[in-house]
Amino acid sequence: MSDRGLRIAGLRAGVAGNEILKGIDLTVEPGKIHALMGPNGSGKSTLAFSLTGHPHYHVSAGTATLDGEDLLGLSPDKRARAGLFLSFQYPAAIPGVKVANFLRAARQAERPGDLTPAAFRTMLFEKMDLLGMDTAFAGRYLNDGFSGGEKKRLEMLQLAMLVPKYAILDETDSGLDVDALKDVGDAVASLRASDEGRDTGFLIITHYPRILQHIAPDVVHVMIDGRIATTGGAELAHRIERDGYDAIRAEFGALA
Amino acid sequence: MPESALADDTLATAAEAFGDLPIARAERRTALERFRSTASGRERPGRYWKLDADILAPSADRSHVAAGSVEIRNPDPRVVACDLLVAAEQHAARLAAVLGSTGVGTTKFGALATAFARLGALIYVPAGMAVAEPIEVRYVVTPGAAAYPTTLVWLEAGAHATVIERLDGGADAFVAATCELRVDAGAELTFAGVQRLAADATLVATRAAVPQRDATVIWSNADLGAALSSWETTVTLGARGADAQLATIFFPVGTQHVEAISSVDHAAGDATSETLVKSAAAGRGQARYLGNIRIAAHAQGTDASLRDDALLLSKNAHIDSVPALEIAANDVRAFHGATVGAIDDDEIFYMQSRGIERQAAERMIALGFFEPALARFPTEALRDELRSALAEKVG
Repeated sequence: MSDRGLRIAGLRAGVAGNEILKGIDLTVEPGKIHALMGPNGSGKSTLAFSLTGHPHYHVSAGTATLDGEDLLGLSPDKRARAGLFLSFQYPAAIPGVKVANFLRAARQAERPGDLTPAAFRTMLFEKMDLLGMDTAFAGRYLNDGFSGGEKKRLEMLQLAMLVPKYAILDETDSGLDVDALKDVGDAVASLRASDEGRDTGFLIITHYPRILQHIAPDVVHVMIDGRIATTGGAELAHRIERDGYDAIRAEFGALA
Repeated sequence: MPESALADDTLATAAEAFGDLPIARAERRTALERFRSTASGRERPGRYWKLDADILAPSADRSHVAAGSVEIRNPDPRVVACDLLVAAEQHAARLAAVLGSTGVGTTKFGALATAFARLGALIYVPAGMAVAEPIEVRYVVTPGAAAYPTTLVWLEAGAHATVIERLDGGADAFVAATCELRVDAGAELTFAGVQRLAADATLVATRAAVPQRDATVIWSNADLGAALSSWETTVTLGARGADAQLATIFFPVGTQHVEAISSVDHAAGDATSETLVKSAAAGRGQARYLGNIRIAAHAQGTDASLRDDALLLSKNAHIDSVPALEIAANDVRAFHGATVGAIDDDEIFYMQSRGIERQAAERMIALGFFEPALARFPTEALRDELRSALAEKVG
């Protein structure tokens, strides 16, 4: 199908009347890993929230489609059911809602009736084991009192349980130590190695290139001041590591 | 008709009808006088409080016999758990030892309930006895009745027991309920009250517990029914080492109104208390909550906390929450925290981003909000019953 992909064209969006994204063109292809890099404040998280439909973000122009389906007219839950997933940089804590119940509700919403309760539990414990999570985790309240590392692991567990068509990982590496970072890399690799997850396309938003040592990108986009300044291969990430964003800004900023 | 004239007539008729009952005859007469002469801060005129004098007392067609029924489930034959009238005949001394022991009869509506005490239960657990299974008391109030359910619990020293009290029925009824919990040294009482009266009932409840030295009372109340529910729960920590853990849930919806007061009196030092209130309001539901913690000057070493969270689920819902800490001692720990607000946008968005519809997300978040308080209620079956009741109210 020719329109496959998470296709973003001419996207302008902002928050509270301030335009932050000034025309984004970007396509995440199925089964590919795209890295979106850029300095703080360049608009990376705004792109993530605009695509997933956060109520505080407003799109003023452009289109976004998921395998041909228009996303921007849909409520956030419908975008998720269409196959879009966001790993939050700061996931909300919801006291009183247990991890297992939440995951069951989410799986049921996205794939109604596909798993019996027993099959769901088996899958949950298998994925938790893979992520090195204690089973007691399933009975804890969602992100309530979680450490930064636990929150990110829970985001990866949700990724593993929901198997989206396209996953945006917003600064999933921030605040993680080397071991936790490796676990994130393993979670993505294991999803890609599975039958159902091999076509999942990733948009990995990051400030630092270090996560890309664990998840090798097929394509690297660099965002500066609300525009994609340049797009390249893995070597672009190495260049950023070596020269910093200023060099990119100097070369491409004026063009963007 | 002026309230006083009507009240005098109906009260006189009712007092006559109740005069024959063998339950605390002398106390009834003084209680009636006390009801008449006591002004109550809770008898608020106008917007918050409108009590038709006609429904204040039993009369010919609001007979005490037909006011309601009490069903008692006693899992242990060593425990006394019986109807109040049976208690008056067979356990008079024990009844006398609890009735009035916590001071509920000194309030206006506590006095009224004492004057007409008939529908009720006495639970007595002898010293040192541990009862594993919950003892259950269920009142079903007759439609249109004036009912005065009276629950009296006495745990002797070192006893352990769990009591679940339910208050049901009562379409268009007036209910003045009292509850007295006497918990002797080293005893531990878990008491859960579940109020699910009919939507047009009026309730005034006066409840008190007095845990003695090293005694614990774990007291949870879910106040879900009635058009107007006005209640006051008081725990007096009367001796060192006493511990009170209070959890309260209330949730006015539609046009329901809740007037709630919880008071913890640290009358002795080295006692601990923890009060947790989780309230929500939807529709045009209104609530006013006053949370008192009083620490007497000599109550050094007190550890008291009050946590009070209110969730507003509609624009027209309203909850006023007023904490009041009076601390006269200097070597104490006292904590207070409160929140009032709607469900956070980011919480809803987070759930929606996982495919869950907005309404379902709000429902899960609202029900989750009560969980910390629900966790204090005994038995999973009761917690599930309350979850269903709350889910109905969330809609």
